[in-house]
Amino acid sequence: MIRWNKYIYTGLLISSFIGVIVLLLFGISQAFSFLNTGADRSSMLHVALHKEQVYFPKLDWIDTINPGRPIEKQTQQDIEQDYLNAWYVRNVAYQSNKMDGIGDYYTKSSRKNIANTILSNKEKNIEIHGTTTNHNIALDFYSADGQLAILSDTNVKEYQRVYREDTFLAETRLQSNYQVLLLLEDGFWRVRHMVKKGNYDQDTSMPSNGLAKVIKDKIYIEDKEYTIKGINYYPQKTPWDMFGDNFDIDIIAKDFDIITEAGLNTIRIFVPYVVFGKAKVIPEKLQRLQEVLDKAEDKNLKVIVTLFDFYGDYSVLDWTLTHRHAEQIVTPLANHKAILSWDIKNEPNLDFNSRGKESVLAWLKEMIYQIRNFDPNHLITIGWSDMGSADLLQEDVDMVSFHYYLDIDEFAQKYKDVSAKISKPLVLQEFGLSSSRGLWSPFGASEKGQANYYEQFQKMIKEENINYLSWTLYDFEEVPTAVVGKLPWRKHKQKHFGFIDSKGNKKPAFEFIK
Amino acid sequence: MKIRREHITILLSGVLIYVVNIAFKSVLKKQEEISVIVSAHKKIVEAGNPIVLDFKVNKEIATELLLHTSYGSTTIQPDIAGETRFTIPRFIANKKGTVSYTLFYEKGNLYQGELQIRSNTKTKVCLESYIGPPSIIAGGIDYAMQVVVPTDSYDNPLPDSTNVTIGHQFLDIEKKKELRSKDMIAWQNIFSYNSSGRILLFSKVKETISKEFSIDVFPSLPENFQIQSKRKHSYADGNQITQFITSIIKDKHGNIISDGSLVKFVIKNTKGLLLHTQANTVNGQAIAKMLHPDHEDAWQVKAYIHGMAESNSIRIEYSKVLEDFDTQFKKGNRYVTVGPLVSFMGQLIPDGAMVILKIFKENKKIDTKVETSSNGIARFFLQEGFYASGKYDVTIKALGVEKQYNNIELE
Repeated sequence: MIRWNKYIYTGLLISSFIGVIVLLLFGISQAFSFLNTGADRSSMLHVALHKEQVYFPKLDWIDTINPGRPIEKQTQQDIEQDYLNAWYVRNVAYQSNKMDGIGDYYTKSSRKNIANTILSNKEKNIEIHGTTTNHNIALDFYSADGQLAILSDTNVKEYQRVYREDTFLAETRLQSNYQVLLLLEDGFWRVRHMVKKGNYDQDTSMPSNGLAKVIKDKIYIEDKEYTIKGINYYPQKTPWDMFGDNFDIDIIAKDFDIITEAGLNTIRIFVPYVVFGKAKVIPEKLQRLQEVLDKAEDKNLKVIVTLFDFYGDYSVLDWTLTHRHAEQIVTPLANHKAILSWDIKNEPNLDFNSRGKESVLAWLKEMIYQIRNFDPNHLITIGWSDMGSADLLQEDVDMVSFHYYLDIDEFAQKYKDVSAKISKPLVLQEFGLSSSRGLWSPFGASEKGQANYYEQFQKMIKEENINYLSWTLYDFEEVPTAVVGKLPWRKHKQKHFGFIDSKGNKKPAFEFIK
Repeated sequence: MKIRREHITILLSGVLIYVVNIAFKSVLKKQEEISVIVSAHKKIVEAGNPIVLDFKVNKEIATELLLHTSYGSTTIQPDIAGETRFTIPRFIANKKGTVSYTLFYEKGNLYQGELQIRSNTKTKVCLESYIGPPSIIAGGIDYAMQVVVPTDSYDNPLPDSTNVTIGHQFLDIEKKKELRSKDMIAWQNIFSYNSSGRILLFSKVKETISKEFSIDVFPSLPENFQIQSKRKHSYADGNQITQFITSIIKDKHGNIISDGSLVKFVIKNTKGLLLHTQANTVNGQAIAKMLHPDHEDAWQVKAYIHGMAESNSIRIEYSKVLEDFDTQFKKGNRYVTVGPLVSFMGQLIPDGAMVILKIFKENKKIDTKVETSSNGIARFFLQEGFYASGKYDVTIKALGVEKQYNNIELE
């Protein structure tokens, strides 16, 4: 017995000894590896900071003439970048009520001011979602040693939305002027003084060249009244991926022939936000869009270009990225004769629940303003998914578009109600019926039923002289999951909205396409 | 008849109710519209003073005020719940800039306005100075910039056209200048004088005087200079050291150039080879050193401060340290002893002097052997395996003296 005890004691002693040694070694190695990390010299000087740009308000340099010293191109870029970052971290700080990143872009004495405000907002449970969309910078002073700069930032367009415990309180749009003193510290241009200098209310908008315009509730193109007789268009093989790798302008050209021969004058196409490169638009994609529009012009078709397809963020901090996206697409096409209208977004009202109505509407309103600045020549609309949303932002758009997939018999009455409320041109931007009868949809419409539907609809359209675009030219073989979800019966339905079936034969409805 | 009258009455009363209803509705609608008046308040306030905004709203509603300032936004509640009197918080009232305010209630914005907060000139002034670059070059072309940011005690930049006195002292010069601030700052360029030294700077706004700042004025670029050599003797003993000494190098304004300026000496010997040595200046003088050659030679020496200045060229000659030496061939002439090598005063040449032995057979060089002297003697051993027995010619060279031995018979 004693011998056993002895063994146990010996065992315990040895294992605890080993354990202590292991812990000790582990501790030393941890301390050692800690001391070896973060000692990179470049990180000390902040020379090689990997920063992904996430803030793209429109920034113009008015001039860099100053009494101090001429500024170098590189420093000018550094100042611009750090100044924008200062705005960005401040916007983030007010949204999250945390001081993260403020220390990098505000000096010790100026960051106190932000800290005070954030402290007060935190106590009151207030969050402020804000962004700036425009900056116009003039360099007032740049010191001889290159360590101090003073900027005047005029006509800064600011948007702010206030929440208390996730409840929307208020929103403001302001245009302000600022004067800012920046110091170069630790490789950062930091804000030392910031003084808001009154509000700015001079706003010049570019004049339109009169390509397309709206007078009362009529659309005019080159001064001729225009009624939209159109169709939503995707190539048969590449639905929802029109500008992808299988882009083929010849197929599109043939489809355009089919559309014009059927007597239609307008198509609606979609520009997906992510595929086109978000804030940095891929030139190749833009080129393809241009080709499609050129082809449409050749074939005498007008195009409604729907932007921001599959976009769904709307957050205030994301605004400037979407503005740059729109700028890069809209600006080069501002004089394109094929375009009838920019459709800001397809069915944005479906995002009201998940993203907040006020967020979506504020984003749309600002986007309309932005696009009008980039292109005053074409019309602007929003493709609401139902008639109920049609009166939203009706003061801001040029024509009011809505989609209708409900009971055909109720359409006439509903249309009358809507047109009474709205004094701008109305566009029935999507309607149609899927001839989806089959295994997944035993009670769906047959091709005959689809033809009857269009016959009836066209009768109403002609009576009321309605602008319309039907959905859609082709039956599709594949429908991406992002469009209607994974459920096979929903996909199935979406595949059979066409006037032409997947084998290329015209369905009976084709007769009533117009 | 009776029925008719009743009908008319009903119809009339119906119309009456309708009219009254419409009238009521329009009156009610008007009441719905909320009017807001801001009671008189100063549009321009000095920082640090309390600011109270009092609104008159014709309806009892819960309002809040959204404030947008230089450094961000916040909302505030009325001082007493249900009223419309707002006191602007201290941290906003203390900061210079335009404050935009928006009175809002649950259904939207009611009133927008703005007020100016100016820096408070009654408080004590604080000065921040930025001076750079910290060192400049004498001669009146280079300059440093002094930037002064005067603020009030709430850290607000003082308004434009604030009087700022900027001054500096250098040697016996003392200058002062009155400036007016613009764009938050007052600034001046301070150009260097002809002498090197230190410029002391200060600035002053009202009663506040800044700290003392300084700029170092370094001498300008060096001018051309002279060099001379200094040595213990002129023999090429490969042992002593020759010093090359510059004159005191000055810039064109007579300032001794900064200590540590690098002077490079380039020596060209009779064979055209280049030797280099260098030294840093101390008090304007650089002293470089070079070992004597181990053979008779003549050096051409010139010094440079790269890209800035150069010296004159001097010539130094070194004479032979020994006239002759002995050579002994022993043990079948295979052991060759050179020496003793004796210097000009009769001492043995220090160890390490190079002795070169070249072996020729029928006018063709077979080998070169190099040994260094030890105790004045260099020894060579010509091994049998390498040099078969026969007649050889041998030349031996040491410290610039060359001797030839022909027809040495190796056994």
